[in-house]
This record gives sequence, C-alpha cells and structure tokens, in this order.
Amino acid sequence: MNIVVLVKMVPDTESRLEIVDGKVNESGFKYMVNPYDEFAVEQAVQFKEAGGGKVTLVALFSNETSIDTDLRKMMAIGADEAIVLRQEDYRGDRPSSNAKVLSNAIKEINADLIIGGVQGIDYYQGATGPMVAHMLGIPHISGVTNLELNGDKFTAKRQIEGGLQVIECSSPVLITCQKDMTKVRFPALKDIMMSKRKPFENREVSVDESNDVQTDECSLPPARAGGMIIEGDSAEEKVTKLIEKLKTEAKVL
Amino acid sequence: MSTVIVIGEVDGSNVKDVSQQVAAVAAGMGDVVGIIMGKNISEPAMKLATSKIVIVDDDSLENYDPVKFTSIVSQVVEQTGATKVLMGATTMGKDLGPRLAADLDWGYLGDCLEAGNDGFVRPNFAGKVLAKSNPSDPVVVSIRNNAYPAGESWSGTVENFKGDIPNSSLTTTSIEKIGAGTVELTEASIVVSGGRGLESSENYDEHIRPLANAMGAAAGASRAIVDAGWVPHSQQVGQTGKTVTPDLYIAIGISGAIQHL
Repeated sequence: MNIVVLVKMVPDTESRLEIVDGKVNESGFKYMVNPYDEFAVEQAVQFKEAGGGKVTLVALFSNETSIDTDLRKMMAIGADEAIVLRQEDYRGDRPSSNAKVLSNAIKEINADLIIGGVQGIDYYQGATGPMVAHMLGIPHISGVTNLELNGDKFTAKRQIEGGLQVIECSSPVLITCQKDMTKVRFPALKDIMMSKRKPFENREVSVDESNDVQTDECSLPPARAGGMIIEGDSAEEKVTKLIEKLKTEAKVL
Repeated sequence: MSTVIVIGEVDGSNVKDVSQQVAAVAAGMGDVVGIIMGKNISEPAMKLATSKIVIVDDDSLENYDPVKFTSIVSQVVEQTGATKVLMGATTMGKDLGPRLAADLDWGYLGDCLEAGNDGFVRPNFAGKVLAKSNPSDPVVVSIRNNAYPAGESWSGTVENFKGDIPNSSLTTTSIEKIGAGTVELTEASIVVSGGRGLESSENYDEHIRPLANAMGAAAGASRAIVDAGWVPHSQQVGQTGKTVTPDLYIAIGISGAIQHL
C-alpha cells in the first residue's frame, strides 16, 4: 500500500506566547512535529509492516527553519522517505492555501491512504485534512480513534456525540487521527542510524492564492476574577458550606 | 441583504441547542436560510429558528457523510446566493466546515467563541491566544456550543431540497454507544473532573467516578492523566479534548489550566 503522511511543524508547547502590536511574536518559536501527526506516522508504518508498501512523509514548511532532525525521527519510526515543500513566508494558519500546495504535491504519488493528525496544536482548525481530501476528490474521515485494514477495506471508528461512528470505506481515502489511535513507538538505535540514509527531498514551492481568512488582531484571554476560598475547621464543615453555597447562591444543585 | 445559511442538526425529536444558538447569531447577519439533512428529520427540522428552512430528508442521509453533505450545502449556497454558512462546532460541523469551504473556495473559521457583525473570535494555541477577524469575503464558520443563547423556533417557510445527492464510498455500518448509563460529557449539566493531583488512576476510579455517579454528573479528566493512560481520551476536557458547558464544573487535582477554569 502506498501511504502518504501529512506532517505539520508546529511551535513547541513550551513556546512563550507574547502579543506585540496585536500579533503573536513568533521570533522565539522552536518547532516540532505536530503530536497528532506522530500517531499518523505510527499507524502508517504499522500498515506497511503488516502488508508491505511505502510510507512517504509530506510536509509544508518555511524555507528558513530546519526540519531535518524532526523528520528523521519520523523516518526512524519507519517512514521510507520525506518530501519537504519549502515556502517563503510560510504560515500555519492558511489551511486552504496550504491544502492546495499539499494536494498538488500528493497528486503524483497515487496514494491508497493519506493520513495525518486531526488538528495542529497551533491553530486547531482541523481544516487541512478534509480540504486536501476534497481537492483530491476523495472522501475523508476525521478524528479517527481506531483504524483497521482488512483486505482493501478500511474500518474507521470516529467519536461523535454520544457514541462511536463505525465507517467502512475502500481506498483511496484520507484519514485524520485522534489521540487514542496508536501508541507511538520509541525507535531502536539501528532504525535511527538507518533513517539517516533514507531519501529526503526539499522542493521550493510558492504560496497558492486562496480565500483564507486573515487574523486582524490577537489578544491574550482576559484574566479571570478571583475565586472564593471556603474556610472551616473540618472537611465536613467546609463541604457543608460549599453545598449550601452551590444550592442557595450559585443555584446549580 | 445578504443571505446566511445555517446548517442545523437534529437530536431525537428536537433541533440541537447549538444549532438554535447559531440560528440566533445568524439572524443578526442577514436573511437566514436553515438546512437540515438526515433521515426522518422533517418534523423536528421545522423547529429550527430560521425564517426559511430547507429540509433534505432522505434514506441515504441517515448518518453524516462529508461527501454528500458538502455537495448538498454547496447546491443550496448556489441556489440562494448565500455568502456565509454557519454551523455548530459539533463533531459534524468541525468535519463538514473545512470540506465545504474547500468546495466553495471560501475562507474557513473553525470552533469560534464569538461570532457576529463585528467579526469572529477563535482560539489559537490551546486557547492561550484569541484571534479576531472580520472577513468581508464569503466564509464558512463553525461556532462553539453555549457561545450564545438559543433562538426561539417560529413558523417560517419550509421547503424540500431540490437537487442531487451524490454517492459516497463511505458507509456507516453502526453507531456504537459508549459508556452506557454514564452521562455524556458534552451535554452534562454537572461535570466532575480529575487531574494529576489525584496521584493515581485508582484514586480517580475510587473518588471521581463515584462522586460523578452520585451527582448525576459526567466524569472528565485533564490532559495530563489522559496522556498518562489513567482514563481514555473520550473523557478529556479542554482544548484537545471535549468542550463542556456545564452549570457546575468541579475540578479536583487540576492546576489552573485555562480550559478548566
């Protein structure tokens, strides 16, 4: 099976979020592979190990920041090759434009399965996956917590309000992974060494025209008002007071 | 006046509360056309709080399917000349919104906290940054539950969808109910959540679950203990988990992450 994994680079969670003139100051950001995309890499490699095939990582990222070490880690997990689309003035909050660039690159790969994370932990739109699927003219299933392959048929489970939707489909299909899907392995030293010899291609691409919405202004959420600390001599007394307040003042019980 | 489409969702014999909230928001933006898609949904669909309702009731629409639903809404956009499509940020809305935006080649704003004529506010970086925008071009928007009061249903005009429903290679074979007997987090009026301060998964099972049961509440969890494997991701509350909108939220052993305040 020919599998493409969509990998996004996102600011790591320790990045300091500071607003300057209504914009997030991104100058100090360090980048990492979006954690949801790691589940996708792991799942793709498991399918390859079970049934053969090839796993190609496709990433779109700035042409100024290094990505090699991060993608080599994904190749140590078992991905076979990487195609990095390098863009001047790349932005992670242009899902439509980014999906156009990605789908153009993926078209020529003729993938049976395209898989990625359900959302980036930067802008949380969950948009790029479904958009890429639409542009390639294939269906998508988002937020999948369990994906199985029997013969040439996929069975995906996706959490919906009050249950799990079980969906069957044939390839090609685009899947986005929710957290519970797989456990990402720690690669063995041998695989880490091997990963350094795997094909790694950088390609310059331009920004595609799109109707992505531009953010006018960013701000930090307002600080919350102070809470109330309930005093008392014993836990029983404090709980009694709390329940009283919840009943008479907050009226939630 | 511009036309705004609201995609509503039905839950049993009613329209979902979040859909009515979106309808109320849309009412301030232009002439509102509601769409409800599904199987045997004609009766409840009429309760959607929009002046015009397009009903798409078909056996093939029993379960949400991104390919079919995208095509139907696009056809209604074309028929009405709408320039905005609004929906609730449900599991369906968050899945359908971006695909529809791609089909229409419009902008997309997902999971908005605020929506109105002054623009839209959505969370970035796990809600640590709020991003405001006010696009003048056509846009598809999903809006988070409980962001607004629900619109009251009224008697508008109702018509059946005239157009094509495409085939899709996706087949929903079943909906598995999970956690039978427990309260669904996203709909609970009381949520009891536990975090790393509980120190062990046994303490979660011994304290949080019984308390939630006793109060008729849903049991939630912080990201830390979901990552630690104490509870499944389906119980995670917060930016990367579920958005909860209870009247009472009890956080036990959770430090002050903004999602739990």
